Amino acid sequence: MKKSLSQRIVLSVVGVLVALAIVFPTYWMFVTSLRTPGEILSPKYDLIPTSFSFGNFATALGKDNFPTYLLNSLIVTVGSVLCALVAGTLAAIPLSRLRFTGRKGFLVLVMVAQLAPVSALFIPLFLLMRDAGLLNTLPSLLLIYFATTLPFTVWMLYGFVNGIPYELEEAAMIDGCSQTGAFRRVTLPLLGPGLVTTSVFSFITAWNEYLFALVFIRDKPKETLPVWLASFRTAFATDWGGVMAASVIYAIPALVFFLLVQRKLVSGATAGAVKG
Amino acid sequence: MTATANVTMPAGATPPASPRDTRAKKRRRGRFGDRVLPYLLLLPALAAILVLLAWPLVQVLAISFRKLDIGQLVSGKTVWIGFDNYTNTLSDPEFWTVTFRTLVFTAAIVAATILGGLLLAVLMRHLGPVVRIIVQVTLVLAWATPVIATTTVFQWIFDEQYGILNKTLDRLGFHGFIGFSWFSSGASTLSVIGLLIVWQAVPFVTFSLYAGIIGVSREQYEAAGIDGASAWQTFRAVTWPAIKPITTMVTFLSVLWDFNAFAQIWAIREGGPDGGSTTLAVVLYLKGIAGNHFGAAAAIATLMLIVLALITGRYIQLLTRTREGDLS
Repeated sequence: MKKSLSQRIVLSVVGVLVALAIVFPTYWMFVTSLRTPGEILSPKYDLIPTSFSFGNFATALGKDNFPTYLLNSLIVTVGSVLCALVAGTLAAIPLSRLRFTGRKGFLVLVMVAQLAPVSALFIPLFLLMRDAGLLNTLPSLLLIYFATTLPFTVWMLYGFVNGIPYELEEAAMIDGCSQTGAFRRVTLPLLGPGLVTTSVFSFITAWNEYLFALVFIRDKPKETLPVWLASFRTAFATDWGGVMAASVIYAIPALVFFLLVQRKLVSGATAGAVKG
Repeated sequence: MTATANVTMPAGATPPASPRDTRAKKRRRGRFGDRVLPYLLLLPALAAILVLLAWPLVQVLAISFRKLDIGQLVSGKTVWIGFDNYTNTLSDPEFWTVTFRTLVFTAAIVAATILGGLLLAVLMRHLGPVVRIIVQVTLVLAWATPVIATTTVFQWIFDEQYGILNKTLDRLGFHGFIGFSWFSSGASTLSVIGLLIVWQAVPFVTFSLYAGIIGVSREQYEAAGIDGASAWQTFRAVTWPAIKPITTMVTFLSVLWDFNAFAQIWAIREGGPDGGSTTLAVVLYLKGIAGNHFGAAAAIATLMLIVLALITGRYIQLLTRTREGDLS
């Protein structure tokens, strides 16, 4: 279908307007974080900033143990991602490379677990953590994030290992490698990109998580970043510049990771769409 | 060769071989090791899924038949009360109000998300490469911004005094919006929350549908063009059949996510004003964690799971059946 010039112009204008509408909240977060408190509370109407100040970031970082919350978030997130990667890789290898009884059953379990609405299960999980004496500790969150991201991790890594030809391992074994050696030296390095993609997904899930972080943690100094940020009114009152600066600091790791693997996430998420 | 011996020693799980072992015995042990190996490797993942996902699912059902308030929790006594938690919940008119509100809210945001994603995906197909990339980058930014960062930004945009929205409306001549509070009624609060959820959910839907649309061969569109099909006819006959499976998939996922939405609702007004923006997920939190009525909350959780299963059951069935193909 060839489009006339005027049609193309109209479409481009619509496209740009849509893009502006979509980007506005993110844009506004960044712009506000770079303004002085005086500018923010002035009645002036300015969508495009003329001057920048980094004072809000200093305010946010100096506020209320901000670095502690940041560290808490990093501990539970990185910890759960590493656990999920190790357990996920260990599970993906036999699922893809070996044939054994119960293999299919396990795959179905993973598939169903991936769909489980974990947020509806916080009552028994709260009681479980209480019985285990883990309530109000960071490991309780680490375990939950590990479990919630694990099914997805297994499923993704299973797909990635499947994508690496077994013939490569066989060739290495003919050349004198053991089976484990062949896996370690041939398949594992090729699995690198898959591990990165999968870990980014888990990272974002854990980094974003709010409900369990709210339910399990009672002591303020053990809170994670989203819980603290959600209660920003206590810390910032109406210092919107400070809130936006804190939000920006919180958002940047997720934004960076996301841009890295965005394309793969899409294909991964819809790979299982029902045909017909 | 020392290398081959490694095969029989998976993950250090085989006990050290005694010096009496003959070669034949070693091979037999190797076979045993090979048979146990997959289960050993699966063990961490299996344990995590069973303990932290499957067991709680069983537990939530069990707890829903118990009286489990702070008293029982401290004394550790198990008090079975049959269906009392359910009858109490179901006879509470407030529960039905909230359920109705949750269903309407979910339906509205899922519909808005899917429709918005569909329009954007079709629009993206018609755009030139430069504008398309601009749209894609903005979508990724919206998608990647963490949920709680988004809720703070939306509260700032909708702030009654200094928020940019009221300032803009005032400039456009709607002076009544100076100092207008968007969070003064439940309906208005939920609209803002809905907008926020839709804004974050649309990118995923758009990218998924767009991936389906670019999968359609150029020839099919050309053929439709030659046959003189209108834009709508082309969509109906060419695009829609190609993206229908993906649309079903993302609709199902959206229902699953939006029905359980909690972070945005709680972070913005904690279900207020006066419980006006309370959904089932919020009630669950209030009953369980804030009120320490774990049994009653478990009953609500079970009811929520039943509703979800009713809405999405048919699709899960289809999904597992199609994915059987991946299991070979």
